[in-house]
Amino acid sequence: MTAPLLKIEDLRTYFYSKSKQAFIRSVDNVNLEIGKGETLGVVGESGSGKSITALSVMGLLSAGPGVITGKIGFKSDRVQKNLLQDLDDFVKLTMKDGKVMAVQKDEDGWQERSEHRMSKVRGKEISMIFQNPKQSMNPFMTVGRQIAEAVQLHTEYKSEQAAKERALDWLDRVKIDTPRLRFDNHPFGLSGGMCQRAMIAMALSCEPSLLIADEPTTGLDATIQSKIVDLLAELKADLGITTMLISHDISIISRLSDTVAVMYGGTVVETGPAKSILAKKDDQKHPYTSALLTSIPSAENIRGKGYLQAIEGDVLDTINIPAGCRFYGRCNRVTDRIRERCERQEPDLREIAPGHKARCWLYFD
Amino acid sequence: MKSYTQISGEIGEFSDLPFWKKADDIDLAYVGYGLFVVTLVILSYFLGAFNLLPHDPQDINLELMMAPPLTSGHLLGTDFMGRDMLTRLIVGIQAYFLPGLLAIFIALFFGTVLGVLSGYPAKAGFDTGITYFANLVDSFPRLVLILLVIAAFKPDIYYIMLVVGITNIPAVASHIKGKILFLKQKNFIEADIALGLPTRTIILKHILWHNCRSILIIQATLGMGEAILMETSLSYLGFGVQEPTPSWGNMVQAGSNYFMKGQFWPSTAPSLAILFTILGFHLLGDGLNNILEGKRNK
Amino acid sequence: MSKTILEVIDLKKHFFQRKGLFSLGGQQRSIPAVDGVSFYLKENETVGLVGESGCGKTTIGRTILRLEKPTSGRIIFDGTDITALDTDELRKLRGKMQMIFQDLDAALNPRMRIREILNEAITVHHKLTGAEVDKRIAELLEQVNLKKSKLSNFPHELSGGEKRRVGVARVLSVGAQFLVADEPTSALDVSIQAQVVNLLRDLQKQLGLSFLFISHDLRVVELVSHKVAVMYLGKIVEMGMSGRIANKASHPYTHILWSSLVEKQSREVGKKAKSVQAGKWGVFDFERPLEGCRFAPRCPVYEAKGGPDICTNAASEPVLREIEGGHQVACHFPL
Repeated sequence: MTAPLLKIEDLRTYFYSKSKQAFIRSVDNVNLEIGKGETLGVVGESGSGKSITALSVMGLLSAGPGVITGKIGFKSDRVQKNLLQDLDDFVKLTMKDGKVMAVQKDEDGWQERSEHRMSKVRGKEISMIFQNPKQSMNPFMTVGRQIAEAVQLHTEYKSEQAAKERALDWLDRVKIDTPRLRFDNHPFGLSGGMCQRAMIAMALSCEPSLLIADEPTTGLDATIQSKIVDLLAELKADLGITTMLISHDISIISRLSDTVAVMYGGTVVETGPAKSILAKKDDQKHPYTSALLTSIPSAENIRGKGYLQAIEGDVLDTINIPAGCRFYGRCNRVTDRIRERCERQEPDLREIAPGHKARCWLYFD
Repeated sequence: MKSYTQISGEIGEFSDLPFWKKADDIDLAYVGYGLFVVTLVILSYFLGAFNLLPHDPQDINLELMMAPPLTSGHLLGTDFMGRDMLTRLIVGIQAYFLPGLLAIFIALFFGTVLGVLSGYPAKAGFDTGITYFANLVDSFPRLVLILLVIAAFKPDIYYIMLVVGITNIPAVASHIKGKILFLKQKNFIEADIALGLPTRTIILKHILWHNCRSILIIQATLGMGEAILMETSLSYLGFGVQEPTPSWGNMVQAGSNYFMKGQFWPSTAPSLAILFTILGFHLLGDGLNNILEGKRNK
Repeated sequence: MSKTILEVIDLKKHFFQRKGLFSLGGQQRSIPAVDGVSFYLKENETVGLVGESGCGKTTIGRTILRLEKPTSGRIIFDGTDITALDTDELRKLRGKMQMIFQDLDAALNPRMRIREILNEAITVHHKLTGAEVDKRIAELLEQVNLKKSKLSNFPHELSGGEKRRVGVARVLSVGAQFLVADEPTSALDVSIQAQVVNLLRDLQKQLGLSFLFISHDLRVVELVSHKVAVMYLGKIVEMGMSGRIANKASHPYTHILWSSLVEKQSREVGKKAKSVQAGKWGVFDFERPLEGCRFAPRCPVYEAKGGPDICTNAASEPVLREIEGGHQVACHFPL
């Protein structure tokens, strides 16, 4: 494994539910690593905290409490720092039994310092593609203008003309037909797939070290999805850009990623090389991952049984996190040997095979 | 420094708190104060009904004219005809409350009907017609309209409230219409149609009862404050409740002649009563709006 | 042979859009969302309707339920023509056919408790006593596998899967035999999708329901449907048994649709990610050709054959014709 470009350690991002007077532990103790040039696929269901992790990295969360502890080490050719450095000064936590019970946070101070730090990183070092391309672009500016502006701001192409040429180049690169025509289109004049391409062009035109793609294909039609995935695969091969790919769609993750992190209920339950995590066989895997793989509605998963192997129960609600393993209530592989531990104590993320970590008592003694 | 605290309890058992617990303290204070004012109003009727008032509000005592406050037997003093201020103040609200209810009833009833008619059916023609009507009503200056009505008939509080009610219809109608359009986006009205529910059940139960009642309560409290204010300004001009029936408006007007002579109490007491009552109704409406509709959090 | 429960004959639904701000009368542009669709549905059968967004599949579902008024064509349900029923007759009809909406919250009035919601649905079409209603509610909860404790909750307190179950229970409660399921799984998480797919299949077995299953998720459609109809811009371009459509598609569009499943491509992980299709057809725009085959501008066969006249000729728009054992396709050059 190459030196990690991004190393997230013990990240906790909470929100506060006023109506329940309790913390929504959206991201709770997340550890992730992305090596240079690698693609990390983050899989998880809604509410598993995958998007919030990305937003925490980008420093795009402001509503309180937000990020409260953790370290986000970022190490590119140009920048080396902990993105959350010294921000602890603004937060005071009261803990009980290892759980955060109260947070006091100077939100303005936090915001100011974080903003000061992130403004040099955001866009230039880390850029992001969102699920809703039409809503993440300025509807009153032409697509080309927006890309050219990003180019001017973040790269050495400072003159108007050079930036425009560069923007056209990127539009061409993401396979938008007739880039010169599309340059002057407004976002609403483009179809969904086209708009996502423009968004990708915009994100890449800043030449970032890390690209975060949050559900880049969700909401698009199947035929267009596959085109966008093709494009991402091609760009990955050409540019070798480090990517954090977030999706609930395992097929997309398996197509594009080198390493995979599976998230459940606000934490990473398994991480390792894509091959071993997404392989169809059952052994040496977190029960959640294997259950997720067999529950995908597809002809293959139904063969021989006549029905789908569903995961019983509901997605974990991150306010009501149980004391033991987060997946315990839905797990079908609990044995008598470990039942008690599963119920009482949360397992750590430990290595079960070289480079393959899982958070499950099954594999520890 | 903001602080967030989790209520103590086993993790894994959090559920929604009842609405009075999750409401902001300030909203509860608003509503509390508003309810206090409403209680006082009801108390006024109660005192009147059981003859518990300190004096007869129209009892003239020429020997004790313009007595200052704290005169024995007259806590707030007397006015220029020697009538007890406190009694007149208590009875004064009765000049507004029932007529105000009439105004509210007219505004809410017709406003709701028009709101439903313009929001619910998918016909554009209805909506346009009602919008024209609303614009027409809105474009008349209300005070001028009231003066016209008074000139044509007679200065009677019920005529005034009729006009106040009618001029409030467009505001209520637009609120109801807005809510219905919002609900339509959520698709459940369509699901109700698909289920085969009769149209009147959908409108009366699903839309009005379940989703518009808080709007109506809020509009009612705000409307009451407005009715009082309107009557007061008219009474001050001499068009409202006529002497000798006490109303805060005509009390202020009568007392204002003596204000510059240093005899402040005949006008100050009813002015303050107006201020705190209207404040009460408005805060009640605002607080309920924040609590029931969750406006403050958004 | 079981009997036909629903038959749709040459159904058309055009939406009208005013051309400009000041255009009055006659200046309307018509958008044919559904443009001449015919199919039938047998009892205890599921027909899947696939297509990309904007192809008119949801409009078909809504028109069959008469939430939209069809522009022309006929809808025959259970032997009666329902194309021109009035409001009262329609209401009675709703006791026999129902719709599962894509929106999870659609069926749930946010201010009503679940018990109230179900109670209301049960008593719309049947007059029942309190005890009978309670019994029916218990029965429904059993069928959709929902905990009894949820009855006193408000909709916003439920998770997505539970909301979907309540929605299904509400639809079942009227005793409908035919359901239009409009993207019933698309708003749900992966692990919950499987539960819902299983639930719908179980219900079909238990209660003998017929489904018109509308979805853009090809994998789900392939799983639950007996027959599949593929739609493109308001027309059915291919129809047949689901296994056949999935594996031996004849229409170029179906072929593209199926092979664009990322999952199928992902079997080539490890090889240099090289797509068979990239660049070949470029990016699609939903621009409707004026005449001839609607799919021609995107069609690889059309391009490979050098743009034959027959595909763009207004006189020869392809119609559905049978090629083998109930497999119909509307293409001049089926694969």
